[in-house]
Formats: sequence, C-alpha cells, structure tokens
Amino acid sequence: MPTVKLVKLSKSYGDIKAADNLDLEVKDGEYLCVLGPTGAGKTTLLRMISGLLAPDKGKIFFNGKDYTVKEIEERKAALLSQTYALFPQLTVEENILFGLDIRGADERTKEQVLISMLDLVRLSGRSDAFPRELSGGMQQRTALARALASGADLLLLDEPLRALDARLRISLRTELRSLAKTLNMTAIHVTHDQDEALVMADRVAVIRDGRILQIGTPKEVWDEPATPFVANFVGQSNFFTGEVLQSSPLTLLRTPEGTVLKGRPSDLPQGTSAVLGVKIGNTELTKERKGYLKARVERIIFEGRNLHVDMVMDSGQRISSKVPSWRKGKIVAGDMVEIYWEESKGTVFPMPPSGLENELKVE
Amino acid sequence: MMVEVKLVGLGKRYGPVTAVHKVDLTVRDKEYVTILGPSGCGKTTLIRMIAGIIEPTEGKVFIDGKDMTGVPIEDRYIGYVFQNIALFPHLTVQDNVSYGPRARDMPREDQMRISKRFLDMVKLLDKMGMLPGELCGGEQQKASLARALSSGSKLLLLDEPLSALDSRVRVDLRYELRRLAKELGLTTIHVTHDQEEAQSVSDRIVLMRAGTVVETGTPEELYTRPKRIFTANFIGETNLLDGWVLEIKDGVSVIELRNGGKVKVNQADRPVGDAVVISVRPEFMFPADEGMRATVTSITYMGTYWRVTANTEDEEEVGFDTATLDENLLTIGKEVYLAVNPKTAVLYPRPNDGVQEAIKLE
Repeated sequence: MPTVKLVKLSKSYGDIKAADNLDLEVKDGEYLCVLGPTGAGKTTLLRMISGLLAPDKGKIFFNGKDYTVKEIEERKAALLSQTYALFPQLTVEENILFGLDIRGADERTKEQVLISMLDLVRLSGRSDAFPRELSGGMQQRTALARALASGADLLLLDEPLRALDARLRISLRTELRSLAKTLNMTAIHVTHDQDEALVMADRVAVIRDGRILQIGTPKEVWDEPATPFVANFVGQSNFFTGEVLQSSPLTLLRTPEGTVLKGRPSDLPQGTSAVLGVKIGNTELTKERKGYLKARVERIIFEGRNLHVDMVMDSGQRISSKVPSWRKGKIVAGDMVEIYWEESKGTVFPMPPSGLENELKVE
Repeated sequence: MMVEVKLVGLGKRYGPVTAVHKVDLTVRDKEYVTILGPSGCGKTTLIRMIAGIIEPTEGKVFIDGKDMTGVPIEDRYIGYVFQNIALFPHLTVQDNVSYGPRARDMPREDQMRISKRFLDMVKLLDKMGMLPGELCGGEQQKASLARALSSGSKLLLLDEPLSALDSRVRVDLRYELRRLAKELGLTTIHVTHDQEEAQSVSDRIVLMRAGTVVETGTPEELYTRPKRIFTANFIGETNLLDGWVLEIKDGVSVIELRNGGKVKVNQADRPVGDAVVISVRPEFMFPADEGMRATVTSITYMGTYWRVTANTEDEEEVGFDTATLDENLLTIGKEVYLAVNPKTAVLYPRPNDGVQEAIKLE
C-alpha cells in the first residue's frame, strides 16, 4: 500500500493540457476519488500513474521513490477500466488467473489466489462461466478480481461503475470501497459522478483542465468549495453577484438591487466584485418570515426524499431549492416565497476572470 | 392536436426468449411517461415497437386511435432521440436541425425559421454554424432534441437520451427536458434505467422487469406507497426488514422483526401471525429510546444530511439519515435503538422465494 506523490506533472496533446503542472499526494491506504467532467484529464492522470503513459514533465513518486520512468510491471498497480475488458473466450477462473499464468505461478499459489478472489467478489459458484453468461455487475466484479489477483497494492479505477445501470452502481459503490479497505490497498478512483465520489472517498480531488482545483474530505469539498465551479459541480449551487461590504466575521455582499447577503468569512477586500454560492440543498424557502430575497415558485417536482423547487426572482434570475418531501402541498406553484440560508452555507468567491457563466460550465 | 398512444397486449418474442410480454398502456395527450427498469427488462424493445423500428410479434400500437401495424417509422410522425447521439457529422448544427423540414420539401425560409426556433429553445442559437464534433456531449444531445422537435411532431420518444452524458450534465438536462416538453405540450415517452431521472421528469412512471410491467404510478405513488417490494427497492433507497404481525389494534400493526425489534406500521391488511416484510426509507428511520438494537458501522456525509449504516442483531445492514450529527449519540461502534415512522412504513406479505429474489435486478 504505497503512498503516491505527483509533482508538477504535465502532459499535453497539441494545444490541450491534459495535465497542467499537477500536484497530488495520496496517503497510504487512502481511497481517493478524482472527480471532474469529461475531458478534465482524469484518465490521463491514471495512465501516467500506471506507467502506460509518460508525462512530458514532472515526477511520480511511490513511497518516496522516483518511479517516473519505471516499467509498468514494477509499479504493482492494477488498472481497472470502465469497459470490463475480459477475455471472452476464457472462463471467470481463467480470466482471474491470467496474470499469474503468464508469470508462471505454481498450482498451489494459483489455487489459493483463485479461492480467495472468488470469495471476495462473491462469484464462487460461477468460476466456470464465460463473461457473456454473466450480468454487467458480475463482469465488473470478475475484472476487479483479475486486477487484484495480479498482486497489486495500488488500485487505479477508471470510471469503474460507469457502464452499469444506475441502481446496480449504487450497490457496488460500498462493495468496491470496502474491498479496497479490506485488502489495505491505496485506491485512486476517477469519476464524473459527484454522488459516487462523496459516498466512496476518504478525500475527493476535484479536477478541471488538467489541474486539481481542490482536495479535501467530502465534507470539506461540499461545505467549503474552493471555486464557484466546485460549488456547482459538487451538488449544484445558486449564485448571486454583488460587491463585498466586509469579509469578517461574516462576508457581506451587496447585490445590484441593494440587498445584503451573508456568507462565511473570506479574505476578499471591501469593494471587490464577487459572487456568493449556496447549494440548492441549503437554499431554504419560507412563507413565514423575511429572508434575503424573494422569488416566485415556478414548478415543484417530487423526487422522493426531496421536492425540487424551481423559482424565478424579480430580476428574472432562476434559482432552485431542494426541500424535504413532507412540505408537499404547503408550497405550490405560483407562491411568493422568501429565500434564505444559514450564513455558514454561503461561500463568497471573487468574480471569476472568465465570467461566471464560463466558470460554471460542467462540460 | 391531440396525441394519445395506446398499447394493447404488445409483445415481442425472439425465438424462445420473450423480450416484452403483453403490455397494455395508455399514454394520455401531453403526458410525460417514463419507462423505467434495469438492463434487459424490455424497455428499449418497447419504445422501438412504439416507434416502428421493431415489429411486435403480438398486440398493437395505436397513435391517435389509428392502428400503426405495418406503418413505418417515417409515417408515424414522431420525434425520436437516441441514446447514442445520431447527428450527421458533416452537417452543421443548423443543417442537422432543419433536416426534417428539408426532407419534407418545406421552403428554405421555413426550414431556417423552424430550425432557429428550436435551436433557441435548447439554447444553441450561437452554435448553429458549428459541426457536431465541435460541441460537447450535452450540447450534441440538445441538438438531437432540437432536430427531433423540428419534425413538428407532438409525440416525442426518448430512448435513454441522457445515458451517454456525465452525471452532472444529466442533472441539468433532465429539468430542461421536462420544461421543454411541457412548454410545447408534447406527449413524451422516455426510456431510462435511472430512477432519479425518471422521478424528476415524469408525470407517470411505468416500471418494468423481465419483459413485464411491474407497476405504474406517479413518482410520488411509487415512492411513498409502492405496491410491490421490487418497486420499493428500485425507486429510491429503502430498508427491507423481515418480521411477523404480532398484533393489530386500531388499524396499526405491531411487527416483531427478525432482528428482535418491534415496530408499528399504520397498515392492517395482513392477519396476525403472518410473515411480512416492511419497507422503511432511510429518512423515516431514526435513533430513539427503544426499538431495534443496532451497531453503527459507517457515517457518510451526503451534503445536506448524514447517512448512517448500522448492523442489527441478526447482522442485517440498515441505513438511516440524520440532519445533524450528534457525536455523543452516533459514532462508529456505538449502539443505537432505531424507531420507524409508522405512517411511512409499507407492509408486504413475505414473498415465497425470499426478499432477495423479489428485488433481483438481473
């Protein structure tokens, strides 16, 4: 279970920077999720760590040793991709033992590894099956067993659940994480799915345009987003623009309409043009008292545990909120509501140089 | 113009394999219906039979009361969006969108006007001169949608339209899809495997499994009062707990659970002594002074709440949600007593083949 350290890693394809001076440290035994949109450089990152791809610049350290130019085999890293890539003409057993066969492992070792792997991925009854006879979830578990049987101690997962049905994906999340934990492996899992990252990761690294924007626990990334993009990509946010009046002990932001909004303390100088982001799940609405802003409810969508409420403010700006489902019927389309949030749930950012709309693009 | 779609005993067999078995369904004018289910449940075959891409082996499709048997896709007058974006790569976005009007020999002026109208609707007016390859995935799918709409059809068929996209893009687009369908007054049939997507866009959900319809209802009906255990498990998250009816009093059943706890359920249609399964959503289970005993095994931050999992005395895993985390009460390894909100739990007869078989996806 190695520590992995990437120092100023760069990789370009023509004009596109898939990795741009990227620094990242993964702790021993950690489950790290690298979260970002398609094209952010997630797969490139994994391929460089695995040794399939050489960086243009920068260094890769395993356990403090420079592995930048080491061969793939020496890295003891198992890469699991989003398509299962099993050999269709081989059985589950033959697929799992493929790596050991190549290395000429003896029968006893093979037997032991096979039994423990089949048990681990709950496929003990299916060792003679061919991949096509298995469901998608079983195929992915077989691929995982094959990756693990290679004796790797670093697990690299490239969107491992993407090809699966939504419902199956949810049940495999916990399984995959506990497997990595049971085996004491360090895991780097890249995904575009923010729910997956929140549920599975010890820490989440948010990546965009080949750069890590923020790394932290799921709670840190959710509650204290580093940029408007992070605030919006992880869990959707509403944004309000204005001018900073003060930055401590709370940040006060005056909107063009003259309303003063409150958020967490920041280090923004007075007078800065800024934007306040608040998660739609933390955007509260009431008819009982005065809030920061007024909005008219446009529609309400029942989503199970929550209602999704879309609203329009006087300025024409659209905002959304998620409220618990028991409030159904208490708020209806057409209602005028007051919008507020806990001060600790608002984060104030300097106005992005490329403009807010560009900053928030999710692909 | 009214568009109603009616399926009567619709089925499809491939040799010995039944992909879809006798589906009866009426989709009302301007209704947004999703066909939801796991891989291999027959949902794609079903929508393709409605479109006329696949010929049924039994039953009939009626659109506006007209029997569509033998009518090819181009004469069914529908807008169809595929999972894998199917734009012409060498045509500009606008030429893709004006393809339908052009094929019907509309005057060039009308082609331009119609394509611009729908490109404006999906917010792609500024990119209409680009080639599909220059757009990102979500934009390509919006262009596909504009092309489907420019046919002028009031019937929109969406075959896993968001599956190929990143989940964050999917979330934004699903709200837009519903908005658009409602603004244009379309009758929409949307196929998906994603239950969250189905809940967000639908007036009604048709849940399928193994070629048959399990249950049909509004998102709220299927979430709060699912008639089948499969539905309770597939739509949203739930705890399914084994037990027996201990007593019934004033319309409330007291259930003794296999894990030793006792819970009350406001439902009394199973006799005393019956083996039952209760379904309780994580947001309706909470720590209390008494109830079922369990040991906390994990605590996960979900943004607006904490998801706690715990193991009951018979090693069953249960999940419950809490808005604030009181660390004196909830830490890993700590014992808690869990109670259930009796209004929200749903009672089922215990299935003969067991719960696992009843909820199996594949």
